[in-house]
Amino acid sequence: MEMADPLDDVCSPEDLKGFEKVYNEELCKGEVSSKAQFNYACFLVRSKYPADIQRGVVLLEELYKHPDEIGKRDYVYYLAIGNARLKEYQIALKYLKGLLRVEPSNRQVLELEASIKKRMENEALKGAAIAGGAVLGLGVLVGLGVALSKRN
Amino acid sequence: MADQDILTTLKILIIGESGVGKSSLLLRFTDDTFDPEQSATIGVDFKVKPISIDGNTAKLAIWDTAGQERFRTLTPSYYRGAQGVILVYDVTKRSTFAKLDMWLNELDTYSTKTDVVKMLVGNKIDKEKIEVNREEGLKFARRHAMLFIEASAKTKDGVQCAFEELVQKIIQTPGLWEMDQRSQGAFSVSNQRTEEEAYCGYCSVL
Repeated sequence: MEMADPLDDVCSPEDLKGFEKVYNEELCKGEVSSKAQFNYACFLVRSKYPADIQRGVVLLEELYKHPDEIGKRDYVYYLAIGNARLKEYQIALKYLKGLLRVEPSNRQVLELEASIKKRMENEALKGAAIAGGAVLGLGVLVGLGVALSKRN
Repeated sequence: MADQDILTTLKILIIGESGVGKSSLLLRFTDDTFDPEQSATIGVDFKVKPISIDGNTAKLAIWDTAGQERFRTLTPSYYRGAQGVILVYDVTKRSTFAKLDMWLNELDTYSTKTDVVKMLVGNKIDKEKIEVNREEGLKFARRHAMLFIEASAKTKDGVQCAFEELVQKIIQTPGLWEMDQRSQGAFSVSNQRTEEEAYCGYCSVL
């Protein structure tokens, strides 16, 4: 079966705007509810712009630090998504590890972990390919240089 | 499966109160597994699975939404573009049945397709203590022009059927879906009832 990748889930800009508005309105009144902040952050971390994702991560970290929040598990999950989408894979995995300590068989968390690890692998391969290409290119240049110098 | 064999991609949504078994129904359908300790879904979860109906294959993108109250404002953004909705209640918990009106309301408010196909699923029929009987479920479904089936994610009863019936109805609804550009040839709705279809049809209302 085809895997569905939670990291590919991108929110629509209109939705993000809507939740941003609610958040800003509460901010103007002087007190932001954790619900408004969480909703906004959930959309931010699924934005296609890294600056939005970064902001979402900051808002979630803030929520996570509150002393008695019932939604800790949700914050941690979205913190992992945000960090993974910023390519901060190690941090993302650390958050998921924390979740798995409490719920070792949580399939949703395990699947996110697998998809992060897959991305790390792909990027390592891509990095290796680029490095390999560079070596190959260098080899050609050296070879060419040798050939040219021989001709002279 | 090769992409060119896929007729279309359909977006299916699963909604309902917390703990009625939405994720369990999904996992029974996609992975044929059941976890009695299934943890509460965080936000949304989604799975992709091909399904063959009348010799044609459709790709289902199934979005499983969290039922918990604190996600109530978050999940409607996933309603957009859904062609089919599975609304689930727990037959052993009347409160989840009583909330169906609220869920339908939510759906009417946020879904972008007016003719979205709805399937009502009464889950957990394997349990002994039934609070909502089949007749009540059927009546509710009929009143709201929904398909209906009773199911058990635990024993597999009715699960495959629920998805097949829903997809069949979507495919038969003109204008609700578009053929993938890649796919070749025309799709024809066959009137011939397959054995499975006949079996599935026994408790659906149209």
